[in-house]
Order: sequence, then C-alpha cells, then structure tokens
Amino acid sequence: MKILIVEDEPKAGDYLQQGLREAGFAVELVHNGVDGLHLALGGDHDLLILDVMLPGLDGWSVLRRLRAAGRTVPVLFLTARDAVEDRVQGLELGADDYLVKPFSFAELLARVRTILRRGRSALEATSIRVADLELDLLRRRVTRAGRRIDLTAKEFGLLELLMRRHGEVLPRSLIASQVWDVNFDSDTNVIEVAMRRLRAKVDDGFEPRLIQTVRGMGYVLEAPEGMR
Amino acid sequence: MKPVRWSLTARLTALYTLVAALVMAGLGGLVSVVVNRHFVELDRDYLADKLRLVQQIAGESPSRALLAERLDALLASHQGLFVELRQDGVPVYGAQAPVFQTAPALPGPDQNPLDWPVDGRTLRGLAASSPAPAALGGGPALQWRLALDTVHHSHFMGALHRSLALYLLGGVLLSGLLGWWAARRGLQPLRLMKERASAVTAQKLDQRMPVASVPVEFADLAASLNAMLERLQGDVQRLQAFSSDLAHELRTPLNNLLTQTQVSLAQPRTPREYQDILASNAEEFQRLARMVSDMLFLAKTDHGLELPRRERIDLREAVQSLFDFYDAVAEERQVGLRLHGHARVTGDRLMLRRAISNLLSNALRHAPAGSTVAVDLSAQGDAVQLCVRNGGPGIDPALLPRLFDRFFRADPSRQHGDADGTGLGLSITQAIMAAHGGQVSVQSVPGETVFCLRFPAGGGG
Repeated sequence: MKILIVEDEPKAGDYLQQGLREAGFAVELVHNGVDGLHLALGGDHDLLILDVMLPGLDGWSVLRRLRAAGRTVPVLFLTARDAVEDRVQGLELGADDYLVKPFSFAELLARVRTILRRGRSALEATSIRVADLELDLLRRRVTRAGRRIDLTAKEFGLLELLMRRHGEVLPRSLIASQVWDVNFDSDTNVIEVAMRRLRAKVDDGFEPRLIQTVRGMGYVLEAPEGMR
Repeated sequence: MKPVRWSLTARLTALYTLVAALVMAGLGGLVSVVVNRHFVELDRDYLADKLRLVQQIAGESPSRALLAERLDALLASHQGLFVELRQDGVPVYGAQAPVFQTAPALPGPDQNPLDWPVDGRTLRGLAASSPAPAALGGGPALQWRLALDTVHHSHFMGALHRSLALYLLGGVLLSGLLGWWAARRGLQPLRLMKERASAVTAQKLDQRMPVASVPVEFADLAASLNAMLERLQGDVQRLQAFSSDLAHELRTPLNNLLTQTQVSLAQPRTPREYQDILASNAEEFQRLARMVSDMLFLAKTDHGLELPRRERIDLREAVQSLFDFYDAVAEERQVGLRLHGHARVTGDRLMLRRAISNLLSNALRHAPAGSTVAVDLSAQGDAVQLCVRNGGPGIDPALLPRLFDRFFRADPSRQHGDADGTGLGLSITQAIMAAHGGQVSVQSVPGETVFCLRFPAGGGG
C-alpha cells in the first residue's frame, strides 16, 4: 500500500512518514502543494494525506485539480481548523475523511486503514477467528477454546470491532465512536471500564491474553507470535 | 467629490442665522410697505386738499389772468406741486409743465393717486373736473390735474432702507454669534462624554458617563453607554480570568512533561523505561489536546454560531443510548441508572448528547455505591425539562454559583486525576444549552444533587 503525504510542517511530516512506514506502508513525503499535485498525478498511490494549509497550492486546490484530472485516489485531510464550513467543503470536494490537529497517531492509523479497506469488497465473513477465540457473527455467539462466553450486546459489539481489526491499535475515541456512537470525549473512563470487563470474560482463565492495552495509544486484540 | 461634513455646531449656527435673517428681512419689508402706504395716503389727502384749494381759487377769480396769477403764487409757496387746468381739452393753465406730458390717465380724488416717472423723479397725481364758474365765462367743465414730486419721500425711504439693512446685518451677525454660543454650550455634555469615552481602555473600563449632570436628551444615551461599558467590563473580566486560568491549567501539565522528559534524558535508560515515559507523556499530551479542543468548542459555541444541525430529537432515546455507554461504569460503581418520562426537543443531536453525557458523567462520579442516578424527562407544552439527580453528600452551597465556571473543580484533590476531565464539562453543557436558547441549573442539598436542562417553549431549542 502506497501513501503520499503532503505536509509542510517538517517535523509533523517526518513523524507521519516514520509512523506509517513502520505500520507497513510505503510512504512518500513532500512539503508543498505543487510537488504534491505533481507526484499524485504521476503516481499510483492508494491514499493521499493532505494538509489543508500548504505553501504554493493549498490542499483544497490540490484535491480539486486531482479530481478534475479524473483521479479517484482516496484523500484524507489534515487541518488545524475545526470549522464546519471546512469540513463541508472538504467532503463536497470529494475528500474521504477529515482529521483535526492535534490528533493521535493511533486515530490516524485507524482511519487510514478504514479508508484503504473500503475499496476492497471484503467477503462478508460469518465468523472471525483469532487464535482460539471465535466470533460467530450469525448466531452472535463467542467461544474460546471451545467454551461458550456470554457477552452483552455492547460487549459483543466491542469484541467484534477488536477482532475485525485485530492487530491494529484502536484509540479510545475510535472505539467510543464505533461501538456507542459517542463522538465526543467523556470525563469518565468508560472505555477502560468496558475493556476491563470484556477482558475479564474473554481472557481470564485462558492463555495467552489476547486483549492488550497499549499505553498512551489504545487497545489491540492480537495473538502472540507463533500462534497466528 | 467628497460631501462636506458639517459639524453640529456649524449646522445649528447656520440654521439660527438663516432663521434670524428671514424673520428680520420680513419685518423690514413689512415696515417699508406700511410706511410707503402711509405716504400714499398722506399724498392723496394733500392733493385732494390742494384740489379743493385751486377749485376755490378758480371760483373766486374774476378773470383767467388773475386766476393764473393766483395759481402761480400758490405754486411758488408749495414746493414740488404742479397744477394743470384745461377747459374742454383747451389748456387754460400750466399745460406747458412737462411733468404732465407723460402722465397716465389719473384717478379721481377719492382714490389713491397714481405714480409715474419723469426725468428720474417720481410724480404722483390725480385728476378732477368741476363746473366752470361764472366769473370765468361759464362753458364746459374745468379739467384739473394735480401732481406732487415725491422726492422727499424717496429720501426718507432710502434712509429707512439703509437703516433697516444695517440693522438686519447686525441682527443676523449677532444672532449667528448667539446661535454658535448656544450650540456650543448645548453640546458641552457631548464633549464631556467624548473625553470620558476616550479615557476608556481595556484596563480602565471602570469609567462611566455622567448621567445626572447632563440634559435629559443625553441622559438616556449616557445610561445606555454605561450599560454597554458594564457588560464589556464583565466580559473582559471573565476573559481575563479565563486566560489566567488557562495559562495555569496549561502550565502544570507542560511543567510535568518538561521535567519528566529532561530527567529521562539526563541518563541512559532501558527501552522499557523509555516506553513508560513516552506512554505517560502521550497520556498527558492527549489531555492537553482534549483541553484545547474543548476550549475551541466553547469559544465557537460562545460565539453564538448557528447550530450545526437542527432536528427533532427524542430525549428518551438519547438518554437511553448514553445509559448504554455508561452502563459498565455504573455497574462497576454499583450505581443504578433509571429513566422516567418522555420528551422531544429540536436541536443538534451531537451537542445535546454531549450536554447530557456531561451531566451523567458528573452524577456517576459523585453518586455513592448502592444509590441510583435518575433522569426525569418532563414536558409542559413545548417547554421541556431534563433533570439528572444523584445521591451523595451534596455540593457546598458556597460553591454552587461557580460550578459552571471554566476549569472549576468542586473537589480540589481531584485536580489532575487521569480519568478526570478538563474541568470544562459543565461549562460545555451550559454553552450548549445557551446555544439552544435553554439553560442549565443546579440544586443541591445533603443527600441529593439535581442538574436540570430546560428548553423553553418554542425557543431556540
């Protein structure tokens, strides 16, 4: 998967490049809109990460010219301004997603993967399996090592999200948004509590522990090496 | 061309001057007309009088020669008087006098005499006929024409007009001057207010306009300006308090981050230690980022921006879905969640859920184990109320007024707990309610605390 980053702030650009590269993507980085447009028109990227405020040619214009040239490559906008008009303009121009700075890298990574996954018509699996944990989507039933685990509806939703995106670190904000449709922060540590309870049901009494907390980032459901 | 901008003083002065000039010119014209008319009447009487006199002379004269002699004597003693006598169109006396050659048809003695010009002078005359006396041989009637030179009137009228013009000029100048002085004096309070206003700065917002000492016309304006200053002062004070709070709120985590990072850099450490430090930093950064976006949200909402979206919202559904969210936390804290009633409002779904979520989060945090957090929905007509009540020790009444202040935390010991919020939750709820035309209120007694969201009937909500 090839990603082009157009970001004028050198430090931010470097870290994005490093982070995405380490997440397994091939990443190109340029620092202004003109170079960005040139590369995007000539390249075969799977995703464009565009800063809105760019020297030379701003993000909107890059996207506009790209679409005018018939390119349908997905675009994720980064901006420091959280104005509704901006959001609307971006989406009208055909941006695929929108992140307001400061954002957490885990959030960006999760969104990037969501966009890249969108294109592929994933086979609607009826069950997901990670190590000895199995999620039956049709009967909404969870078993681990053959033993049935009882979950509430929301716990099932939470586990489904973690398993569908196993191996990815999911930030709290993304979990709250996807499972509870809560798109704002809460003063209460709801996600921690919910994860703790889910983990007690899924991991307690089993080996290995599948649900991990990644401090400062979020949560990941992952089988240890060798069990994949 | 740029239009000339007249000062108020100049306008008033010009107006006074114009009015005075019009009034005095009118008065002068009236005087002049009246005096002239008076002169005409005098002349008529004079001419009628002289007509009787010459007719009497004609009646008493035995011959035409004697008549001419007597008339000559009369004219010699009456400067400016002219007499002409004809009988049946034939000149008898004075027909040579050039003044009558250009005369119009003259009226009789019972009417006002007519004027006509002769050699730059103005003559005024009348005509009459009388039966020819026997002493003059009888025959057809005598035709008299009498005229008077009005040069003495012209002298008088000229002098009068000059005096009037002088008086008018002086009067206009004087009233202009008085007008200017009155306008300046009348506008004095305005200058006073201007001086006060120019003394107002962000640091000196305690200046107020004089209300008691200015005329009633200005008192209203002064009072309105004072009210405006009052509001500005309040806003600026809140803003100043907010920025200093903000600086303080940012300083503590920044200080922690800086210290922790520099201490970590002072010595080589194991990867595990670095990971711990970075993770801890990431948490702190997330808190900072959240504080910034919360403050941006508040700033935008305070700006009174249009609600992003307006739709009918079933509050029961909204609360129920938030109960789902807080369910695990409530269960862990052994607090029950209960919902009563139904209500619908119009508003922005995301914002309203956020407002309710903040109240629920707050209630859950303070509810003791074994108690219940209850949400009551009620509607009276269009007016809707949502109340969240929880048990617990209650809030110190002294702290209640500050509860919705930004960064205010009732319990100082919770100041920087990880899970705790930014201290902006209740402020955000308040701002969201204000954006919906509603309000949030709180009541607290030992044993129960109730937060209520009120949406007015047909209001912005």
